Amino acid sequence: MASPTTVRARAVRRQRLRRIPLHVGTLVALVALWWLVTRLGLVRPLFLPPPGDVWDAFVRANTDHPLSPGSDRIVRGEQNYYLWEHLLASLQRIGLGVGAAVVVGIPVGLVMATTWLGVVLEPYLSFLRALPPLAYIGLLIVWFGIGDTSKVWLLFLAAFPPIAMATISGVRGVREDMVNAVLSLGASRRQTLTAVMIPATLPEILTGVRVAVGFAWTTVVAAEIANGIPGIGALAYLSGQKLNSDLVVACILVIGLAAIALDLGLKFLEKVLVPWRGKA
Amino acid sequence: MSHGRAIAFEGVEHHFDVGGTPVPALDRIDLTLEPGELVTLAGPSGCGKTTLLRLVAGFLPPATGSVTVGGEPVRGPAEERGVVFQQPTLFPWLTVRGNVELGPRLRGVAKAERAELADRYLRLVGLQDFAQHRPYELSGGMQQRCQIARVLANEPGIVLMDEPFGALDALTRERLQEELLEIWRATGRTILFITHSVDEAVFLGSRVLVMSPRPGRIVFDEPAVFGEHGARVPADEIRALPEYVALCDRVRHAIHQPTNVD
Ligand SMILES: Nc1ncnc2c1ncn2[C@@H]1O[C@H](COP(=O)(O)OP(=O)(O)O)[C@@H](O)[C@H]1O
Ligand SMILES: [Mg+2]
Repeated sequence: MASPTTVRARAVRRQRLRRIPLHVGTLVALVALWWLVTRLGLVRPLFLPPPGDVWDAFVRANTDHPLSPGSDRIVRGEQNYYLWEHLLASLQRIGLGVGAAVVVGIPVGLVMATTWLGVVLEPYLSFLRALPPLAYIGLLIVWFGIGDTSKVWLLFLAAFPPIAMATISGVRGVREDMVNAVLSLGASRRQTLTAVMIPATLPEILTGVRVAVGFAWTTVVAAEIANGIPGIGALAYLSGQKLNSDLVVACILVIGLAAIALDLGLKFLEKVLVPWRGKA
Repeated sequence: MSHGRAIAFEGVEHHFDVGGTPVPALDRIDLTLEPGELVTLAGPSGCGKTTLLRLVAGFLPPATGSVTVGGEPVRGPAEERGVVFQQPTLFPWLTVRGNVELGPRLRGVAKAERAELADRYLRLVGLQDFAQHRPYELSGGMQQRCQIARVLANEPGIVLMDEPFGALDALTRERLQEELLEIWRATGRTILFITHSVDEAVFLGSRVLVMSPRPGRIVFDEPAVFGEHGARVPADEIRALPEYVALCDRVRHAIHQPTNVD
């Protein structure tokens, strides 16, 4: 049976398929422009290395290779780890930090939105959100040591405010009659929370998680600035310090692509968990 | 059971604060709805019908006076007072069946019994083939029917309905009107039914109220029982009765009467 929704879904899919050549074309054009600009010598390779050099840096970072051309000392990837190991280490920290922010941020948001605590605590949440991570990583290192704990804490503190705030705004946006309806069916306070408040807030919470993951990516370099190897943020930072632009650009591209992939995953999760989004 | 509890308004007044200025909505409402009555309330839009219903539902407290059910003041929503909202208020994260089953589920009714209740009321409103759909996949009229099934499946002693058939096509409306009468006769529920249709008010009600606008006040209150009480007379025969036509005229007159504000 072709219900209106499946017809619409099919139309959307067709539209998306039609857009693939557009995306591929744009990407090819951008890389070609990049190649041309470097090839013509319009900018020095230190400022913008050519695509080929970046690719070489990327391959080198993922393989065992001589320390320098002609040397017979073979080293493993970069800083003794392959690039994917650096990425994995960062992903793990982001996963832990954002995971903790989800576990803590949603209940805190629910409590803040439904009790007087919200009025009292909201300014502090805004305060925390506004802090630049680089400003307090030092403090976290003093508190939690130079190991992974301080890094995960930083990512947690970056991811927590958007999730808590999204939860608060989600709860405040729940239609009053939705709550009235469930109360008139005989729901207790607790049942109101589980049967209406949480599902009704879920779309906004998931948006908050996506924002939080984005924040975590921008925070990962700050988190890994000290003793961050393995870690893709640390690798990008160290290569920059060593004026190894090829590797910096390779790291940036990997971070960007990983972020896009993660966001696509979250978008898919959104579709599965809140199919009613925008429809009711 | 919660059957047989009268709803009483005593000296109820209500106004809304709109940008600092009070907008009167209800004025000096003294009214008792007897247990088992099907009271229809008609009146022009904006006169305060929904406000009156929300006071009984417990969604808002009256500014002045008291609203009691069975002698106890209304302190908030409760399962004994089911509400069919003017705007369908379904939960999009549940299927149509999930919505209808929700009340019994919250009360801890066993799964099999719940399914049976849902089946019965889905069939009643003609949605049995749409049980697995999501509410947003239904038309407005179907959503409204789903909402009615959800309230009836919870079997409340008092049913408050806010223009529930307003969005339905004439055919469905007439069928549901008769089904509602059937349910009312079979279960003896107290029903407060808001409508802006004179014919609907007179056809459905065992008692018809008319409210005047600004301030909202009950200006008409008459029984509307035709033929032998409880006897089932075909709908078109009722509508052809002279006393039915006369009552419609009186109701229409009451609605259009200019109100004297003193
Ligand atoms: N939440 C509200 N805030 C402000 N004014 C309201 C509110 N609800 C209703 N009113 C006003 O109260 C009056 C009665 O409204 P309502 O009870 O909804 O009328 P009806 O259901 O008869 O159309 C109207 O003038 C309306 O504008
Ligand atoms: Mg209304």
